Amino acid sequence: MRGYKTYNRKKIVVLFLCCTMALVGLGGRLIYLMIYQGEYYTRLAEDLHERERTIKAARGKIIDSTGQVLATNRTVCTISVIHSQIEEPEKVMAMLVKELGISEETAKKKVEKVSSIEKIKSNVSKETGDIIRGYNLAGVKVDEDYKRFYPFDELASKVLGFTGSDNQGIIGLEVKYEDYLKGEDGIIYTITDARGVEIDKEGENRKEPVPGNDLYISMDFNIQSYATQLCKQVMEAKEADAVSMLVMNPQNGEILAMVNLPEFHLNDPFTLLNGGETTQDALNQMWRNGVINDTYEPGSTFKIITATAALEAGVVTVNDTFSCPGFIIVEDRKIRCHKTTGHGGENFIQATMNSCNPVFVDVGLRLGVDRYYSYFRQFGLLEKTGVDLPGEAGTIMHKKENMGQVELATVSFGQSFQITPIQLATTVSSIVNGGNRITPHFGVEAKDTKGNTVETFTYPVKKGIVSKETSETMRMILEQVVENGGGKKAQIEGFAIGGKTATSQTLPRGSGKYIASFLGFYPADNPKVLALVVINHPKGIYYGGQIAAPVVKKLFENILPYLEKIDYTK
Amino acid sequence: MSVRRKNRKREEYFFDYTLLFIVLFLLGFGLVMLYSTSSYEAALDYGDSAYYLKKQLLSTALGIVCMIIVSRINYHFWERFAVLGYIVAVILILLVMTPLGKEVKGARRWLRLGPLSIQPAEIAKLAMILFLAVLVCKMGKGIRTWKGFGLAVGAAAPICLLIWKVTNNLSSAIIVGGIAVLMVFVAAPDYKRFVLLALGVCAAAALIVFIIVKNAESQADAAADGGIQSDAGFRGDRIIAWLDPEKYASDEGFQTLQALYAIGSGNLFGKGLGRSMQKLGFLPEAQNDMIFSIICEELGLFGALSIILLFILLIWRFMVIANNATDLFGALLVVGVLGHIAIQVILNIAVVTNTIPNTGISLPFISYGGTSVLFLLSEIGLVLSVSKGIRLNDVG
Repeated sequence: MRGYKTYNRKKIVVLFLCCTMALVGLGGRLIYLMIYQGEYYTRLAEDLHERERTIKAARGKIIDSTGQVLATNRTVCTISVIHSQIEEPEKVMAMLVKELGISEETAKKKVEKVSSIEKIKSNVSKETGDIIRGYNLAGVKVDEDYKRFYPFDELASKVLGFTGSDNQGIIGLEVKYEDYLKGEDGIIYTITDARGVEIDKEGENRKEPVPGNDLYISMDFNIQSYATQLCKQVMEAKEADAVSMLVMNPQNGEILAMVNLPEFHLNDPFTLLNGGETTQDALNQMWRNGVINDTYEPGSTFKIITATAALEAGVVTVNDTFSCPGFIIVEDRKIRCHKTTGHGGENFIQATMNSCNPVFVDVGLRLGVDRYYSYFRQFGLLEKTGVDLPGEAGTIMHKKENMGQVELATVSFGQSFQITPIQLATTVSSIVNGGNRITPHFGVEAKDTKGNTVETFTYPVKKGIVSKETSETMRMILEQVVENGGGKKAQIEGFAIGGKTATSQTLPRGSGKYIASFLGFYPADNPKVLALVVINHPKGIYYGGQIAAPVVKKLFENILPYLEKIDYTK
Repeated sequence: MSVRRKNRKREEYFFDYTLLFIVLFLLGFGLVMLYSTSSYEAALDYGDSAYYLKKQLLSTALGIVCMIIVSRINYHFWERFAVLGYIVAVILILLVMTPLGKEVKGARRWLRLGPLSIQPAEIAKLAMILFLAVLVCKMGKGIRTWKGFGLAVGAAAPICLLIWKVTNNLSSAIIVGGIAVLMVFVAAPDYKRFVLLALGVCAAAALIVFIIVKNAESQADAAADGGIQSDAGFRGDRIIAWLDPEKYASDEGFQTLQALYAIGSGNLFGKGLGRSMQKLGFLPEAQNDMIFSIICEELGLFGALSIILLFILLIWRFMVIANNATDLFGALLVVGVLGHIAIQVILNIAVVTNTIPNTGISLPFISYGGTSVLFLLSEIGLVLSVSKGIRLNDVG
């Protein structure tokens, strides 16, 4: 017991107690961390360990009024390789070259690249995906995915629109009804180690995707197809640059067909039709929907509006007589009639049948700038139609304060300002339907995958933009135009059709380029269907009455019995 | 029972089986946890999930052999090697600077001896315990004076400085210094100077932290003003990261924060053995200094507190043996071992729980580290040898 004292022992006990206290203190710290802070750190740790993978939701279909599916989804596969899991790189490379048709260098580069996951090819058909899956090679991943598919490819391409790489709508109805169609993506939560490698045993947490709603539209597949066919014929025959056709129900604004030739391939929207360099500009040009995105000088079809305004204001009656010498002088300008020898004496109905410019200039001047402008506004021509397609162009019109007699004169027969074809069709619909300004549209309702209606779309109607009497008078006059006037070529025996032709020279004047158009509706006394055809830059004969009216005639010949039949079954 | 013949002649002698079982349990538990913690990374890095386990098993087996041998030798046998041990420790530390030194993860702390590598700092700990025990016994009553106190602590200082400066290992230097202070504390009768020392250390630590934080703030301001971007040194950064690990989550606070994630997600009973997520590459050095946080994650608060309780029991056995040792030399040896293990356990858990700034200290018997377990077991052998000197009727 050399020098070993009691105080040494006491101090050893003190030492032990100090250490124990320190350890108990740390135990307390652990209780604090693991119980009171536990949830906080657990959440942070889970955020760190979890990786999210989205499962694309199936996009809603677009279905026409006959039940025909115009846009749907097709299962496609994405092939990827996971570098760390590959066991037989040679076999994998050979398989990729054989099944996917990629070059050997590409395959080698992708397979040998050290990355967590390397995408080889997407949008591979399901059949190919199944074959690749059949190889059962370690490290090769086949992910199924939805891709938008358009069964009729070119049909109504500019109306339907298409989707991008993330299945998001890019143009047309696809983008306008994005919120209804897209659905909600699901999420797979996987647990990974610090390198991002998934840990199998931890399993997966899933949030199931919610498929998008189906969009039911007023387009009629049969009418759309036939209208497209007719437009193609006339485009070829007349070597025109573009042909558009719009068929709608003037009573409620439902659009039955909207053709914009040339159409493009919805299943391959990023390839230009004529080859050429793929620039964004060129693509945008190809995707343009002329009926709503582009404006033009409507020409004589606009005389319908001038006539309506004049009748409504009472500055003219149908029996007023005029005399056309072949021109009219407004201030210092001499405005010619298309018939340079003049139409001679004619009443207002005959003047409309003849599409006589001097008469309409006279009538427009009788109204004066103020009244003309207020009717222009009242008919809704200064606002957009509100059609449910993106990018509608507005009206390009003189400012009221800049409008002199000459401008008023040219506007009266449809020149020196620009509107869209849909604006013209909508305004004329509203005039002939009894004076209700309707909103042109495609969207009818959205239904979920089980067929329950999610939303029935409603559209504003502005009543009384013209009186019923004026509306009736206009129907009568326009029926006369087809019966005995410039629209004769649209006549169908046994059917009372109303309409108006137009031939307008495109700017710059004197280029020899014309736009021929015809607007027709049936039945003339209570219109159920209205069609507008616009032929851009036809070769040879370019008069609307000669080349556009027959197109509408053919359309009506075919679809009128068809539409009547539908009515019988109701 | 292997009691030496010389002892048997006298009476029944004591052998501390409780201590032995606690140590063996900790070893076994440590190996299981080491395998659980390291297998995933080992399989990825070395293609063998038992890579670390095998190496540790070898050191442990070697350590147990050492422990048995040392426990059979009368501890007074080692008295004559005290000075030699001290000198050897110094030389070994200096050798780290020579080509024999080995660098691991940017720190030059190891010596390469054929296929093995050892950490001289671990040897220095044992050498320090032996040297101080001999020194204090030689001093006798001299330890009571300021001079004796100064001499004892002064003897420890060179080794501490060498470990700190040569191997750039502040934590081992602190442990060696701590062992010395604790041994002198037990040897000297008064409390006042130790309380003063403790207060002094605390004050100095607080001052250093304060200065570093102030510096960092002014630097941040300077940086915000477009001034120079300078660093507070890597220890300074660790102190700043300690105060707010989440702010420095991507650099200095990373390891600490990952340890906290592991601890925090353990909850009451843990995720179960082998089910830690943090060990999958998220927590650096998981099998090493940070193994306690994986224990927390897998076995929960329950498992973690059990381990702390085991260490308290271990220290309690040391106390019992030291208090019943036949002489001051034996008692001081045990106190030295007690100090060594207690300081490492306390500092390790404190680091892992972000109670103190991050510094590399392993958890005795559990963390991966060959030299450490080898010398710890030798120290246990020493303690067992001391325990054998106790006559049974002395106990209690």
